[in-house]
Amino acid sequence: MLYRPPHPPVAAPNVLVQGNGEMLEDELTVSTRQRDDVAIIDLVGDVTTFAEEKINSAYQEVTAQGAKQILLNFRQNDYINSAGIAILIGIVTEVNRNNQKLAVSGLSQHFQKIFRMVGLAQYADIYQDEDEAVAGFAK
Amino acid sequence: MLNKKSDNDQNKKEIELRLPSKLGYEKVAMDTASSLARRMGFDGDRVESLKTAVSEAVTNAIEHGNQHDAAMKVVVLLTVHDDELVISVTDQGRQALQADRTQDVPNLPEILHQASLNPGADKGGWGIWFIRELMDEVEFTTAPSGGNQVRMVIHLEQP
Repeated sequence: MLYRPPHPPVAAPNVLVQGNGEMLEDELTVSTRQRDDVAIIDLVGDVTTFAEEKINSAYQEVTAQGAKQILLNFRQNDYINSAGIAILIGIVTEVNRNNQKLAVSGLSQHFQKIFRMVGLAQYADIYQDEDEAVAGFAK
Repeated sequence: MLNKKSDNDQNKKEIELRLPSKLGYEKVAMDTASSLARRMGFDGDRVESLKTAVSEAVTNAIEHGNQHDAAMKVVVLLTVHDDELVISVTDQGRQALQADRTQDVPNLPEILHQASLNPGADKGGWGIWFIRELMDEVEFTTAPSGGNQVRMVIHLEQP
């Protein structure tokens, strides 16, 4: 690893005044519920590196309850970065290990594209919304 | 070699952000880039691709280049040209980006296989790949100041 000493900042026009950081912390709400035979994990907020514990806990919770069909239900404007993708890959790994079936719903068109680019669509069906996903599991 | 717009382009407009190296601030860069792109006439899908690429570039700068040192800055320069938006993201280079990492192409089946053997295996490495896949031009260099710099260009397609 190459070490470079920090350089002093250089004044520049159009500078954005920095904040104290607190207002920019990620806020992700994760909750679980059951609908028919599908365990639904609702994700509201940003799926980034800070989401790992919450998402993994929710997955472990529904798995401990015997879930065989799991739906990750996103909100349309959720933001998922590459760290979030890595977390979801971890979920896929566990789903495969536990012989469960995984699907996702509520993703924006952009993040549906991201999922397909990464290859996650091979491991989790993508649905537009929860109703479509529950119907899809029932087939 | 990328065909760079001339620095003497009279129609260019520049906005510079100097962000603390604290996760969360990538959203400022995302929102700024998004606002500019919408004003330029980029469609929704292109704007979302731009936001993702900018997010990954700034996050990399925060996490790897500047090692989460909030006192160090990530400089984001957005340059609006008539037919393209250029975004450069520069860190202060506490950890240099290895050139071969910029060419990584993650393979999901292989990642899943490794993870099945070792749950702690790295499942990441997607950020740079997203940047390359979503932007029209991408260049990784060392900035004159010594930090890592990524220059991304998104072209405004004419109707």
